[in-house]
Amino acid sequence: MGRIKTIARRSFLIGSVAIAGGVAFGAYLVKRDPDNPLSADAAEGDAVFNPWVKINADGITLVTPHTDLGQGAASMQAMLIAEELDVELDQITTTPGKPAAAYYNTALASEAVPFRSNDDGFAAQAMRNTMGAVMKVLGAQVTGGSTSVPDSFDKLRQAGAVARETLKAAAAQETGLDAGQLGTERGAVILPDGTRIDYTALAARAAQIDPVSDVTLRDPSQWRLIGKPLQRLDIVAKSTGTQTYGIDLEVDGMVHASVRMNPRKGAPMLGYDATAAEGMRGVKQIVALPYGVAVIADNTWRAFRALEEIEIDWAQAPYPSEQADHWAAVEASFTPERLDKEWRNDGDVEAALEKGDIVKAEYRAPYVAHQPLEPLSALVTVTPERVDILASHQLPRFVHQRIAARLEMDDGQIHLHNQYAGGSFGHRLEFDNIDVAVDVAREVPGTPVKLTFRREEDFAQDYNRQIGMARGRGAHAGGRVTAVDLDIATVSASRSQSKRLGAPVPGPDTQIAAGAWNMRYAVPDLRVRAYAVPELAPTSSWRSVGASTAGFFAESFLDELIHAAGADPMAERLRLANDPDARAVLEAVAEMSNWGSPLGPKQGRGVALVTSFGVPVAEVVEVTDTDDGIKIDHVWVAAEVGRVVDPVTFENVVAGGVIWGLGHAMNSEITYSDGRAEQDNYHLSEGMRLHQCPVIEVRGLENNSTVRGIGEPPVPPAAPALANAIFAATGVRLREMPFHKSVTFV
Amino acid sequence: MRFVLAAVACLAAPIAVQAQTPDGMAAWSRIYAVASHPRCTNCHVGSSGRPAWDDLGYGRNRLHGMNIVADASRIGAESIPCRACHISAAGENAVPHSAPQIDDAWRLPPVELAWRGKSSAEVCTQLRDPETNDGFDLVGLIDHVRTSAFVNYGFKPGAGRNSAPGSVASLAQDLQTWGDAGMPCEEG
Amino acid sequence: MKLNVNGSPHDVDVEDDMPLLWVLRDELGIKGVKYGCGIAQCGACTVHVDGVAVRSCQLAAGDVDGDITTIEGLGTPDALHAVQAAWIEHQVAQCGYCQSGQIMQAASLLDLNATPTDDQIDQAMSGNLCRCGTYPRIRAAVKTAATKLQGA
Repeated sequence: MGRIKTIARRSFLIGSVAIAGGVAFGAYLVKRDPDNPLSADAAEGDAVFNPWVKINADGITLVTPHTDLGQGAASMQAMLIAEELDVELDQITTTPGKPAAAYYNTALASEAVPFRSNDDGFAAQAMRNTMGAVMKVLGAQVTGGSTSVPDSFDKLRQAGAVARETLKAAAAQETGLDAGQLGTERGAVILPDGTRIDYTALAARAAQIDPVSDVTLRDPSQWRLIGKPLQRLDIVAKSTGTQTYGIDLEVDGMVHASVRMNPRKGAPMLGYDATAAEGMRGVKQIVALPYGVAVIADNTWRAFRALEEIEIDWAQAPYPSEQADHWAAVEASFTPERLDKEWRNDGDVEAALEKGDIVKAEYRAPYVAHQPLEPLSALVTVTPERVDILASHQLPRFVHQRIAARLEMDDGQIHLHNQYAGGSFGHRLEFDNIDVAVDVAREVPGTPVKLTFRREEDFAQDYNRQIGMARGRGAHAGGRVTAVDLDIATVSASRSQSKRLGAPVPGPDTQIAAGAWNMRYAVPDLRVRAYAVPELAPTSSWRSVGASTAGFFAESFLDELIHAAGADPMAERLRLANDPDARAVLEAVAEMSNWGSPLGPKQGRGVALVTSFGVPVAEVVEVTDTDDGIKIDHVWVAAEVGRVVDPVTFENVVAGGVIWGLGHAMNSEITYSDGRAEQDNYHLSEGMRLHQCPVIEVRGLENNSTVRGIGEPPVPPAAPALANAIFAATGVRLREMPFHKSVTFV
Repeated sequence: MRFVLAAVACLAAPIAVQAQTPDGMAAWSRIYAVASHPRCTNCHVGSSGRPAWDDLGYGRNRLHGMNIVADASRIGAESIPCRACHISAAGENAVPHSAPQIDDAWRLPPVELAWRGKSSAEVCTQLRDPETNDGFDLVGLIDHVRTSAFVNYGFKPGAGRNSAPGSVASLAQDLQTWGDAGMPCEEG
Repeated sequence: MKLNVNGSPHDVDVEDDMPLLWVLRDELGIKGVKYGCGIAQCGACTVHVDGVAVRSCQLAAGDVDGDITTIEGLGTPDALHAVQAAWIEHQVAQCGYCQSGQIMQAASLLDLNATPTDDQIDQAMSGNLCRCGTYPRIRAAVKTAATKLQGA
């Protein structure tokens, strides 16, 4: 137990989001369910069975507190509730609800602990339970870490079942029948004679009785919705231009605003001259801020244009101004003092590297921006009594706490109205847009201010993916890989992020070597060490976080060793795989890709297996070296997720994750010059465009009993599988992203 | 639209054998410096119909992003017309990296005027022959240079973009000098 | 300044150089057209001018020389355009922010070229960025829409 306590104290690292250690919590607090946030606003006749279901005479409302960033979270959550509630998706409305402690995320705990996700040992489980308790006490409502499905899967079905059984109890009261005689279907209780009583007609009575708590969840064989191809709730709106995003919101009396902040991120503004902007048409007010200047205008474009006319004197960057110095800092971090944690040490690597054929290689992964297509925005109204914030955010309650502290108000006076997001990829874990909108809105109390970032500002102010390097040494003998020693040095995105959250984290960063140290291979002598580069430019969680870099390093280096050993990349990985799930995903992509079948002279296949967020994902990439450059023809991907809840969205999100991983590995980086990001729009950081997109075939495996999320895990294997395929086709080994620095793509 | 190869407009003097003069060759060198500049060659491309983005700061030599192909129509009518982004208006092109616009329909020159990757001798031979210069004689060529929104754009491409060397006036003057010298070309 | 948008005339008082995008969004309240990059790199702002796709962030209000159609004018939830119907059938969208522009571009392509080849679809649709990576479904939906339109 002593070890668990030590770890618990040291590393309350929640996925990539860090929560400060030392939080006091007792058994009482842990047992007590947080208050139902729907109760406070319940009107006469509203049945609020739990934090997720409200039914009244007007209809059925399901609360979907995980933020919908495009990953289909709202539909998935509604589907889980509806499955047990026995309502159809055309009978309900959904709302993200009010941010509340009741919506704490338990699933985050599993990635936060320093145990492999397939480690079911006592210490690992105890730690996960501890972390779950911490999340509950903190009321951490978090969308991130690919946890929306695992967090919701039992909880929301339970919520639906409780509501259903309570409605049956209400019907039993009303009819004098025994609840056991009643059925439910399509939003109604069904009496033995076939009579239907709509839930909406039972709501008033249901509101008077205590929710039935003793419910049994249905067997999967009875599911109507889970695992079935359904239509996303938002698909018609998103195909007709009628989906409203945060940037589209309008309220009476609203003004528009935009901002220029110091592009040397984190540094202040020294002075400015707005003379030229002041008289411009539509400009209402110039607002000086410690970190930049905002313009309030009657139209977004007029605010943009006025900003361009302001001359601003910026302070120097608090990090190295030139990119070469960032790389130098990474290079200098493979030292004992910077060792963050030795994550894995199987066998005796040092001894193993004394014999056999030795392979050495060095890899690089650059900063990369998030840049979802909807630019950052926030619509904020500040009054002395309350603050209303309309924006999309992944950490709704942190917004409340943060803005309350900023304005010296109570948390309860801050009201975030969460919105559908035009993408995030980790971008909406940060707060700049909300901070700035609040700072501007407090200058015009009572007036709603919609702040919109110019795309260039969004690039300049992004918190990028961690920069890093790896140095590998390995050995092979007799056609087999025998030893892997991988040192990984990156800046700590988790620490950078948690510092901004006001919750600095002691202990190691679980993300620096994520996707590498937990490789599901039984290499006899295997060591993975993580080194923390001191903070350079600020960084943050970028879709798949640490595994996006460490997975590239590990699977590229393993591939080099396999080729050096003269082994087949698939066969050797299968031989090394020490876990049934890992083996199954490899076998799946081998079968799907017809691995081993003949290829043309300029074609190549590459494979990679990376486990992140508990999900082993294998990908095979097939490329052709054409006269116009490398063409990615085909990708096959298999992921073990325990349960594919929404197959239509699953396929879309997995393919999208592959494209995200490939596109940025090919085409995207952020570099610094004069302390500023040199890439300011998509022409210099475009990810993948349609013409580069391969055919992608997706398979979800359901062998494991643990249900996992899929938003991030398809990303990490994409880059190494592509690099490995290009090596197979051309003999060129790509050790640095973005690959377009070394090869041309069609 | 000067897309039609107007054979009837072939009024140029025979261009067979002319004595090379220092002035004429010097003028040609300057003309070639313009004709081989990425600002011109990015659109003076061959039958691939694929415009280029050389020297835009996105990597020295690369094709136009977004998989743009103007195709046989030379205006992209088969898939995405140039005008989807390149507006026909006398804009200032004040925003770096936005789609340049001119007061004409954005398009590729005829295939016969493909210059990208070609030598001085090749371009010279193309330019003095109405069959491969869009049907111009010398007077027509100079007039075209003076009045074409495309040529003007090459020297005033807007914010953040490198311009072709010289000016409309200097190019017209060099064409006159080169023409007066009998349109001499390098041996090649 | 007079603009005809989705069949309705509008009189707007704006600078000649205000991009049509911002006239539509902030002056006329038409929000289906999206701001993504402002420099014709992403295609989210694509509308039709006299039926042909144009990036509305590049077109100054004073240079508009035809009737404007936005996604709202192409079709509605109750009366879908064939391209929108195909987008729903294939459940293309993830975040959906780029999809107005994708749909407007695809509709313009099919209007110019009713039977595009795979290469032509890749050419026409590569100017529209999708950060979620819905490209495989966009390709499929364009083909479905082409079939629907030919049958119509």
